[in-house]
Amino acid sequence: MDFESYDVLVVGGGLAGIRAAIAVVETNPRLKVAMVSKVYPMRSHTVSAEGGAAAVLRPEDSYENHAFDTIKGSDYLADQDVVEAFVREAPIELIQMEHWGCPWSRDPDGKISARPFGGMTTWRTCFAADKTGFHMLHSVFQTSLKYPQIHRHDEAFVTKLLVEDGRCAGVVAIDMRSGRFDAITAKAVILATGGLGRVYAFTTNGNICTGDGMALAYRAGVGLKDMEMVQFHPTGLPFTGILITEAVRGEGGYLTNRDGERFLKRYVPNKMELGPRDIISRAMVTEFEDGRGFEGPHGKYMHLDVRHLGEDTIDRKLPFMRELGREFVGIDIVHDPIPVRPVQHYMMGGVDADISGITPLAGLYAAGECANVGLNGGNRLGSNSLSECLVFGAATGRKAAEYVSSAKAVGVKPIDTMLKDETRRIEMDFLNKKSGEERIGAIREEMQLSMDAGAGVFRTREGLAKLTKQLAGLRDRFGRIKIEDSSRTFNTELMAALELDYMLEVAEVITYSALAREESRGAHARRDFPERDDARFLKHTVAMRTDDIAPRLEYRDVRITNFKPQARAY
Amino acid sequence: MSAGARASTATKTYRPAMGAGWWTRKRHYFLYMVREFTALPLALWLLWLLYEIYRAGRGPSAFYPPSSTAFVVFSVICLLFALYHSYTFLSLAGVILHFKVLDKPVPSRLIVLSQFGLWLVASVVIGAVLIGFGR
Amino acid sequence: MAEKRITIRATRYDPEKDSAPRLQSYDIPFSDESMVVLDALNYIKSHVDGSLSYRWSCRMGICGSCGMTVNGTPKLTCAAFLRDYWPRSITVSPLNNFPIVRDLVVDMEDFMNKLKSIKPWIIRKQEVPLGAGEHRQTMDQIDDFRQFSQCINCMLCYAACPVYGLDDKFLGPAAIALARRYNLDSRDEGIKDRLPVIASSEGLWECSFVGECSVVCPKGVDPAKAIQQTKLDTTMRFVLPFGNRE
Repeated sequence: MDFESYDVLVVGGGLAGIRAAIAVVETNPRLKVAMVSKVYPMRSHTVSAEGGAAAVLRPEDSYENHAFDTIKGSDYLADQDVVEAFVREAPIELIQMEHWGCPWSRDPDGKISARPFGGMTTWRTCFAADKTGFHMLHSVFQTSLKYPQIHRHDEAFVTKLLVEDGRCAGVVAIDMRSGRFDAITAKAVILATGGLGRVYAFTTNGNICTGDGMALAYRAGVGLKDMEMVQFHPTGLPFTGILITEAVRGEGGYLTNRDGERFLKRYVPNKMELGPRDIISRAMVTEFEDGRGFEGPHGKYMHLDVRHLGEDTIDRKLPFMRELGREFVGIDIVHDPIPVRPVQHYMMGGVDADISGITPLAGLYAAGECANVGLNGGNRLGSNSLSECLVFGAATGRKAAEYVSSAKAVGVKPIDTMLKDETRRIEMDFLNKKSGEERIGAIREEMQLSMDAGAGVFRTREGLAKLTKQLAGLRDRFGRIKIEDSSRTFNTELMAALELDYMLEVAEVITYSALAREESRGAHARRDFPERDDARFLKHTVAMRTDDIAPRLEYRDVRITNFKPQARAY
Repeated sequence: MSAGARASTATKTYRPAMGAGWWTRKRHYFLYMVREFTALPLALWLLWLLYEIYRAGRGPSAFYPPSSTAFVVFSVICLLFALYHSYTFLSLAGVILHFKVLDKPVPSRLIVLSQFGLWLVASVVIGAVLIGFGR
Repeated sequence: MAEKRITIRATRYDPEKDSAPRLQSYDIPFSDESMVVLDALNYIKSHVDGSLSYRWSCRMGICGSCGMTVNGTPKLTCAAFLRDYWPRSITVSPLNNFPIVRDLVVDMEDFMNKLKSIKPWIIRKQEVPLGAGEHRQTMDQIDDFRQFSQCINCMLCYAACPVYGLDDKFLGPAAIALARRYNLDSRDEGIKDRLPVIASSEGLWECSFVGECSVVCPKGVDPAKAIQQTKLDTTMRFVLPFGNRE
């Protein structure tokens, strides 16, 4: 049996994945890298990022400053050694992006410009108009085309990590075009599969953000860390959930309630609209509950007002926002305030990985949003994520390249058995199933609405306990889904079923992790435990898969170096 | 194997035929075909002109400029096609021509207006010359 | 008040069963004025017929996945509002000029190969070391190529181009616009490296300036302009080999 064999295999073709692949071949040009993605890389959700990427590039800024902002922003759950390494690498990565063609917006002297951003005490967010993710992804993807050692497997859906002799040896993936099951082997596998926003009903995330890599690692025995930390971005458009970038507030936009009041003065008086995302989202929900939100056909909302910035500034700095306002809401942000409400946006939690993206499973690495390296803790600051993808994508790629130079090749016979077993599993449980009465869409929608209600901005014990029961019921019903599509060619219904399988898995981990963390820290806000409890919970939650639905939760101390945890106020 | 090589081993795809009538289905495509077609009447009219020049070359006794209504109608039709040809061609100049004056790009509207302006001037000059010689 | 409904006719094609594509009709509720064609397809897949296959992701017009032919015109289905068609029915078929893989899914490999062929990366004779910092570039210099950098690779332009429809060896609008984006970038020195592909027999001279590509482009890239300007530039390079260059 012939398997495709590579030195390194990257799962995911977004910013972190492509950066990792390039890092591997630049470290050792003789290595062969496979980039396996369920969509063509320019469709990766990186493309929708808007605001910017943070790094210390100005003389008046300092690594210590960026590190402190990030650690405070994380509500002290970040591992401080990771943060300190990150802030030192970020500037180099942004310069590298510039060399690779990224059209960073510039100051008059021709140097890369920076804008203010939430939770940052100085201007360090570099940007490419308000389509930073789009420009970064296209620049790095197009650059990757010049490396013949990177072999892309586009529209290949990974269903399982191959684990052989205690190490990760590759993946099983369905070639969407033909429906063929392939085993693709490698000496090292890097997960860069992004977030899981689609477990929620109201999210900025695209359809593809279904937590695939997290579920794959979890099933292979790797822990998922801090999964209760789900970021809700303050400003999403009602109904669609389309993101209105934080840069709107960075450029000077105001958030006002029904009374026309800039209500954040009662929550984050020093930073106002540039406070951290978790606090602002909670402020908005509190205002809604107190009756000071606008009522609309798609829920309550606030106004985000940029009329005072003027058409010139808006067209130069926020042109995409103007386009989105026109297209999807029928407003012109130059003359009308933007309706916004908190929306699920980013996942701080993820695959248990260390400062170099190494996971506890030998040969398995993780980078980007799917990983939790300890950078963002309980709350991520805006514009740290794009930099995170670059820094840890590169670090992971280099580490994997080092590792494979001494790793031995993968044994063939066990792979053959695993491939056959996996093919049989999918065929039996999904494709060839004769009975089944549940619709995938119905289960998915219920999961999403339940997660919105039970694991949203504010959580309670009752809400989370109820959610665990709902998810258990949905998991049960999932066993009886019907798949109407019997074709092997581009079967998107099978893909939807497999994604729902992943989503139910990670939703369970989020819920149980949230239930166990009896405090409020960062984005995890418990009405029944409204205070932060460093004595009990200055620790990471690590969820390990068991034979039951509930994971086994372990706790690991946060690594403190230079910044003692303090009360967090802005 | 690169993605390109793998695609060729995939299942069969369906290639719809484009058909010869593609340009009848959209107004923009139709006007484009008319624009391209104008070359034909222009060519025909110029062939006639060449023929007339040949006849005039054999002396005034052999030269009888055609005055039939059929010919006038033919010429008017060709004129309309020629005008459409010039109009579309000059309008598109704003898209094709791009240059900067003092580091600022010249707006396309200005380029198009200048092209039409030059056309007008050229038409007046040539018209004056022809009518002058005709007298 | 009776609930509003709308009819969607979608192309179905399963190469394992069908010899040719056919249309299947679905009657669905039109429950919200903000609904787009993509919402209609998602409703069908979730509630009516799970076997309908199509690509989509961001639903905000930036990923480029959801391009399809809607009532004869190439469009992003996430930006095609049902209210602009109702009460007429909407026919959704795969993007024109591409081989159909399944239902509304087309083969993108030719497009991907063409993108790669124009060398869409910064080419420099001498690389600037990272330690030297960024290349200096002004906003005016970015304005030179900004428009051509907005392409989301949605392929609507290829679907609209009759030249590509008649001869799929044509390099095509998006690829040429992307080449121009790099040629105009002040940091790039690769015009000569891209010239053989752009000026080849299947390159930009196949374009006869129909202009439909720019009409359908959802991001205002104006690939027709890019192509015609590139024609002028490459001609000037040929005619004035030592003259003023872009």
